[in-house]
Amino acid sequence: MADLKILVPVKRVVDFNVKVRVKADGSGVDLANVKMSMNPFDEIAIEEAVRLREAGVASEVIAVSCGLVACQETLRTAMAIGADRAILVESDADLQPLAVAKLIQAVAAKEQPQIVIFGKQAIDDDANQTGQMFAALMGWPQATFASKVVVANGMATVTREIDGGAETLEMKLPAVITTDLRLNEPRYATLPNIMKAKKKQLDTYKPADLGVDVTPRLTTLKVSDPPKRSAGVMVADVKELVAKLKNEAKVI
Amino acid sequence: MTNLVIAEHDNASLKAATLNTVAAARKIGGEIHILVAGSGCAAVAEAAAKIAGVARIKVADAPHYAEQTAENIAALVVAHAAGYSHILAPATGAGKNLLPRVAALLDVAQISEITAVDSPDTFVRPTYAGNAMATVKSADAVKVITVRTTGFDAVAAEGGSATIEAVAAAADLGLVKLIGREITKSARPELGAAKVIVSGGRGLSSGEKYHQLLEPLADKLNAALGASRAAVDAGYVPNDYQVGQTGKIVAPQLYIAIGISGAIQHLAGMKESKVIVAINKDADAPIFQVADYGLVADLFQAIPELIAELN
Amino acid sequence: MSNYSAPLKDMQFVLRELAGIERVAQLPGYEEATADVVEAILEEAARFASGVLAPLNFSGDQEGAKWHDKSVTMPAGFKEAYAQFIEAGWNGLASEPEFGGQGLPKLVAAAVQEMWKSANMAFSLCPLLTLGAIEALQLVGTPEQKAAYLPNMISGKWTGTMNLTEPQAGSDLAAIRSRAVPQGDGTYKIFGQKIFITYGDHDMAENTAHLVLARTPDAPEGVKGISLFLVPKFLVNPDGSLGARNDAWCVSIEHKLGIHASPTCVMAFGDGGGALGTLVGQENAGLKYMFIMMNAARFAVGLEGLAIGERAYQLALAYARERVQGRAIEGSTGPVTIVHHPDVRRMLMLMKSQIEAMRAFSYTVAAAHDAAAHHPDADERKRSQAYVDLMIPVVKGWLTETGNELAYLGVQVHGGMGFIEETGAAQHLRDARITTIYEGTTGIQANDLIGRKIAREGGATLQGVIALMRQTEAELAKQGGAEFAAIRAALGQGIAAVTQAAEYIVANYAGDIRGVSVGAVPFLKLMGIVAGGWQMARAALVAQAKIAGGDADPFYPAKISTTRFYADHVLSTAPGLAHAVVNGGGGAMALAEEML
Repeated sequence: MADLKILVPVKRVVDFNVKVRVKADGSGVDLANVKMSMNPFDEIAIEEAVRLREAGVASEVIAVSCGLVACQETLRTAMAIGADRAILVESDADLQPLAVAKLIQAVAAKEQPQIVIFGKQAIDDDANQTGQMFAALMGWPQATFASKVVVANGMATVTREIDGGAETLEMKLPAVITTDLRLNEPRYATLPNIMKAKKKQLDTYKPADLGVDVTPRLTTLKVSDPPKRSAGVMVADVKELVAKLKNEAKVI
Repeated sequence: MTNLVIAEHDNASLKAATLNTVAAARKIGGEIHILVAGSGCAAVAEAAAKIAGVARIKVADAPHYAEQTAENIAALVVAHAAGYSHILAPATGAGKNLLPRVAALLDVAQISEITAVDSPDTFVRPTYAGNAMATVKSADAVKVITVRTTGFDAVAAEGGSATIEAVAAAADLGLVKLIGREITKSARPELGAAKVIVSGGRGLSSGEKYHQLLEPLADKLNAALGASRAAVDAGYVPNDYQVGQTGKIVAPQLYIAIGISGAIQHLAGMKESKVIVAINKDADAPIFQVADYGLVADLFQAIPELIAELN
Repeated sequence: MSNYSAPLKDMQFVLRELAGIERVAQLPGYEEATADVVEAILEEAARFASGVLAPLNFSGDQEGAKWHDKSVTMPAGFKEAYAQFIEAGWNGLASEPEFGGQGLPKLVAAAVQEMWKSANMAFSLCPLLTLGAIEALQLVGTPEQKAAYLPNMISGKWTGTMNLTEPQAGSDLAAIRSRAVPQGDGTYKIFGQKIFITYGDHDMAENTAHLVLARTPDAPEGVKGISLFLVPKFLVNPDGSLGARNDAWCVSIEHKLGIHASPTCVMAFGDGGGALGTLVGQENAGLKYMFIMMNAARFAVGLEGLAIGERAYQLALAYARERVQGRAIEGSTGPVTIVHHPDVRRMLMLMKSQIEAMRAFSYTVAAAHDAAAHHPDADERKRSQAYVDLMIPVVKGWLTETGNELAYLGVQVHGGMGFIEETGAAQHLRDARITTIYEGTTGIQANDLIGRKIAREGGATLQGVIALMRQTEAELAKQGGAEFAAIRAALGQGIAAVTQAAEYIVANYAGDIRGVSVGAVPFLKLMGIVAGGWQMARAALVAQAKIAGGDADPFYPAKISTTRFYADHVLSTAPGLAHAVVNGGGGAMALAEEML
């Protein structure tokens, strides 16, 4: 396929190794001086896109991120993995999934990608929405939670994880794919590519340039610690144990 | 205020997750309707009508809903969305696939995986992998919500008598084609990915006893089998069963430690498990210090009892 | 097994604020090493270290390298990890771009190497030895040797070894007996046995370039008659393809206290008729080349001390935060985690503070190395080189001695569990042990320091360094508060101790070389402790400025407190060491040998 662009939205989030702490005043989690990285599901998305380009299926991979100027680092990481160029939609607003979906829609209008690969969810807000929302806005088919992607002859055949198993969908391009963990194992960026990433093209837009209203629809009233693990209890017999597991812990 | 709950089903039977979702709708208040979209799904509609506290069942029965693809179902929901203040689905794979699409078509936010309802427009939901609970308030006219089933006790499946009405199907968008669907057989899951792990230690006394006692329990719970280093060293099971600092680090929903004393190296490998059960005949075993539920008992009696109790 | 997470925050702090990465990036040839690129490099190296190398550290130690039929099989996973390592291009980080390297500064390489060594020291030795061989060929290889070997070695497709030691010649290279017989066509046949050859054979690469010290038939006796030869495992055809297996074989591997995954080989050259080799550089100049390469090798081994200390610290800290044992000494309702106990806290702080001091000190030496190699001003190059030459034995000696102490503390924090191999703390202690021995023992480093680096030039370079230290002390005096008063007092005392000991060495070296040499190692430690304290003081000053500028990062107050701890617990030992240097010579020599 000579001219097939893949757009990959990536999000800058708290590194998955960081154990976040809720702020004492309940206004959110403490993000000061915390290590930030690319959302792990988005890394899988970049990897998949780069593999499709390396396989000759796609012609170009464009990473796009919406958020602070610091998202440039995340985009450089995407380009070190192999994205050809990047777009930053710069905003210091609280960008919620619907707003991001609309921003990506505007970027897609400029770039005309045939495939947009999202991570299935970001590990900060755990929303799991943006890919589906973007697909709806575009009127495109969606293959969420993908564990295998094959693209040929203008079609995508995607195996996706469903509760208790997997299903395979076939759809005409353009289409949206969101990645699950098992789709691939992202590569380590090579040193030469890390150094080249700095020289790759990175364009910046503002939401206003794209004509998108990013006003948040949800207000976070407070953030609190999850319920503490209750102290362990001793049970008298097997009956009591099973009852607790069923009714209290709800794990069986 | 009227809630529309999207039924989770496989055309033949209604899934229990729907009951938890109805429970969340009840917390919100107002009338509750259920949308059953499928093909040949009359039995599902009938089951839904019996759910306590539900007023109406809307059934869209058409061949192009057989696979319940997000594209077609979202279009259907949007076509029937008028008049609803809340649209809810369970936060299952299907619900998470569908509702963001509905929300975007309605130009409203979606609220994911709520675990509590504070008021009709304010909800609690986990963020940062459950390490922070956010209370969020929606400014949208329609609240589109997925419901974490463990946050809400299921309502009774019986006792209701909702009216069932057929509603018009929307057009088939024909965007996707299902090629195949495979539900995983209950082959034993991998240790690293299992939701439940049954793990045995030297208390089991032999490899033979390990398999004889633990395998039926693991089958019952669709659990992976693990072991302490002591059990591995004693030759009960191969190396790749080992949970612990030098083995696999696991964090299942449920970890059942049987005849494991709880050496610190073992604890390092499983202490992040959501619920830990320890069964040991030694009441002083350190494993009880990390267990959520402890049972001091003779394993050779307790495990068969446990299997019987689960049946 | 235990996780390794690269201490990126402290590394970045040292690179930016103490070692001056931005100044290094302004040196000709290092323009690409801008702060953002270096940050990206460090982050990806950190991912690689913890994701690929660290998980093999414990299993590699348990399994060990295996020898059979004159060849070595690496522990499970090493071959794949090495393939990933070279695929990612890490091998060529600091090598010449002409042959495929990235030409990055030594300062960046130091931080990246620290990660490899922390993650998996036994693994890291393979690329380290290759680097040594690359350096030799870059320096004095013929154009043919460079063309045939450098691209493959810089990519890591081929590895390299250094063959110096022979059974009868340990630290004393003058005793080398291996022979090189010219064949009349420009090649030589090499005969002899070499021992302690790190990665002399393994299954991770298709070819290995052995650099071998040997004597030509008419070479003069002693160190002036040693030449350097390139002897490949497989001969290389003119078209670059691999030819016949050369007569260079690993005939056994050592069973060692540590670094079990790193094969330490006995190499037999020429048992089957002669190993074909080519001369590297000039005949009889082998030892000179070794000396030129020595700084890099000694610096790298010094980093091993830092790196193992860091890994041991991470392991001990994680354990101390988790292990519940005993009630608090001041009273508590239940048992507490051991990190609560004052003595455990003291041990962890000894680890943390000395790690940070070693890192700051060694990275600044790396930056000086970059200036010595690339600064446009000749005087500046010379000044920097003198500083590097002075400090190399300190980097090697002090970092490795301290690394051993920290690995010891790592075991101690674990208590009885530390003595059990499964915990992993014991491995660090065993792996650390070699670092004070190979590439010149601490005694050899210390003799080099007091003799060649201080006495020979009357202490001139050191005096310049002391003047810089005094400037830092003056800066400290301008700060308020008890922390800075304590830091200043301890640094001042440390500088005075170095000054006194160095004056004694300069004054008495010629007259009482044996007595002065007894104080060599105490002096090396004194130098390390004070140089480390100097850099910590600079770090505290930077931290204070950040705080004054409104930066709320808790890293900065922690840096000041850590420096204060170092001042009270480590720098405070400086006068005792100076005392040993100045007064301790006679005592060591007083007894008749039979009374020992």
